[in-house]
Amino acid sequence: MKFAPLVENEILKLLKRRRFRVALLILVALNGLIVFAQTQAKDRRPGRDWRIEAQERVARMQNWERSGRLPKTQLRWVRFEIARVQYHLDRNVNPDAISGPLFARAFANASSYLLLPLLAILFAADIVSSEFAQGTIKLLLTRPVGRARVLTSKLVALAVAITLTVALGGLVAYLFGGLAFGYRGWGAPVLAGFRLSGETFDPAGVRSLPLWQDALLAFGLAWFAALTVGAIAFLTSVVLRSTAAAMGTMLAALIAGTILPRVAPSWEAQRYLFVTNLPLPDYYSGSPPPITGMSLPFAVVVLTIWALAATAVAYGVFLRRDVLA
Amino acid sequence: MGGAGRESLVVLSAHGLTKRFGKREVVSDVSFDLVAGEVFGFLGPNGAGKTTTIRMLVGLARPDRGEVRIGGFDIARDFAKAMARVGCIVESTDLYPYLTGRENLLHFARMLPDGAESRISELARLVSLESRLDERVATYSLGMRQRLGLAQALLGAPEVLILDEPANGLDPAGIREIRQLIRHLATERGIAVFVSSHLLAEVEQTCDRVAIIHRGRTLAVGPVRELLATRGADRLLFLARPAAHAAEILETFARDGSARVDGDETVSAEVERDAVPEALAALASAGVRVFGVERQSSTLEELFLEVTGGETV
Repeated sequence: MKFAPLVENEILKLLKRRRFRVALLILVALNGLIVFAQTQAKDRRPGRDWRIEAQERVARMQNWERSGRLPKTQLRWVRFEIARVQYHLDRNVNPDAISGPLFARAFANASSYLLLPLLAILFAADIVSSEFAQGTIKLLLTRPVGRARVLTSKLVALAVAITLTVALGGLVAYLFGGLAFGYRGWGAPVLAGFRLSGETFDPAGVRSLPLWQDALLAFGLAWFAALTVGAIAFLTSVVLRSTAAAMGTMLAALIAGTILPRVAPSWEAQRYLFVTNLPLPDYYSGSPPPITGMSLPFAVVVLTIWALAATAVAYGVFLRRDVLA
Repeated sequence: MGGAGRESLVVLSAHGLTKRFGKREVVSDVSFDLVAGEVFGFLGPNGAGKTTTIRMLVGLARPDRGEVRIGGFDIARDFAKAMARVGCIVESTDLYPYLTGRENLLHFARMLPDGAESRISELARLVSLESRLDERVATYSLGMRQRLGLAQALLGAPEVLILDEPANGLDPAGIREIRQLIRHLATERGIAVFVSSHLLAEVEQTCDRVAIIHRGRTLAVGPVRELLATRGADRLLFLARPAAHAAEILETFARDGSARVDGDETVSAEVERDAVPEALAALASAGVRVFGVERQSSTLEELFLEVTGGETV
């Protein structure tokens, strides 16, 4: 029995359903909306020197810093941002430049912790549970194909769907961004790797690379984060056997993950949660991580462990449990 | 069939199947053999353990004790080899509603050894679905889904066909169609067909042999005629006028000496098969006008009352 036809089946089922078209529509609508909003932004005055704007911004943030009214977490962020913009000024690189390619690059950061995980959940949460809901699981598991192969074919199809979604997300962002801000600029230099050592800015890791390389890295990381979420949603789909329950659980986790660092920044154990580690592109390009002591390698390791553990448990449950649906 | 000959034709054998849910034993020590070319009925009321037994036959549920062998392969150890010989519909015909009939068949053909795809058009013809095969299953009627499910089960040219309540939800025409198809598959193609049902009439008309299951236990296994014969005479319904006069005459032919007037022109009595012609002749010569005689369909309850010795269904 060959394996490829099984994967073909699973991909066919994913693509034939409405949810894939919905995901595409979300990507198009969201990107269109953001690009439109950005072209309407009032504070963007073409013709003004970016250096003057950046210097004004630094001065404004320094005022906040001195006012003493900022909470600790925001203070960290403001200090970091002052140093980051100043660093760009020193190297004569515009930190707020905008172009089609830069817009696409920014999409990787912005979508890595909510939008792409959400779309991954959309596919993964029902990939096994829908077979239970439709009753087709009884046909699927009474073919001369072992259960492990059936589950693996679903996992591979899920990975393909997530990869396709991340790639399409980048492509749509580039097409829309390019429409508004021009399609050129993949070679522009980008500064990435900013880091806080304790509470102070640490420029030691800062590197300059061409945008296309930087964008590939950022999208690779966003893809990896989405795959991890996919693996965990896959597990909930296997265990809960209900799409609604699986989706609800995963959404709750994602939302908790975006709220926790804000309301309880001092709770250190949250660095081991998968949600806290999702903004991999942020960790890479360097915005202050939500919890001190977290870094890109740390986040990648934590996510890898989550993904592998979730997959292992999913197999364990799926192979052993009686099908009584 | 003689002992040795039958042995060699056994395509599925269940031995000592037992399944517990928590502390409750829902299937206890169920054993039977399926022989090529026969239709085997699995008869029992709802909740008797039929579906759980079927789940164990096809590997969806793991028995706590006992084993299932298909074509000589233990399904717990050689799942793929055993299942390559089986087509099944468990509980209901569930297919992918967002795919067309053809896409559904292609989907399941891809999960079978090479050659299954080439059977699609032949099977579509067999279950009379050719004209609708490229429409989405969501638009199919229940009967069409049932037939598509059957085509799906036959894709792998199985030696054993396992059907769970195939007549459920079908109209009389659909039931007859399925019944004919089942007979055809067993007689013409030599497939061993396993049919579960809670309707005695259905089993009576379709099956060669039957196992009666009640509270998780098989109470009797044997040829249908033999099992039904143990129940004595059938109750007959006479449509005759005048009813009272007819009842008087029928009392003399009835097994237990009684006939019941059920209505203006209906009388019922238990009359042995061989006594029926004489009873009719007597009615005619007495001037009773007989409009019809009906064999009252035997109910599952009656059979159960006898086999279980008074326990209700």
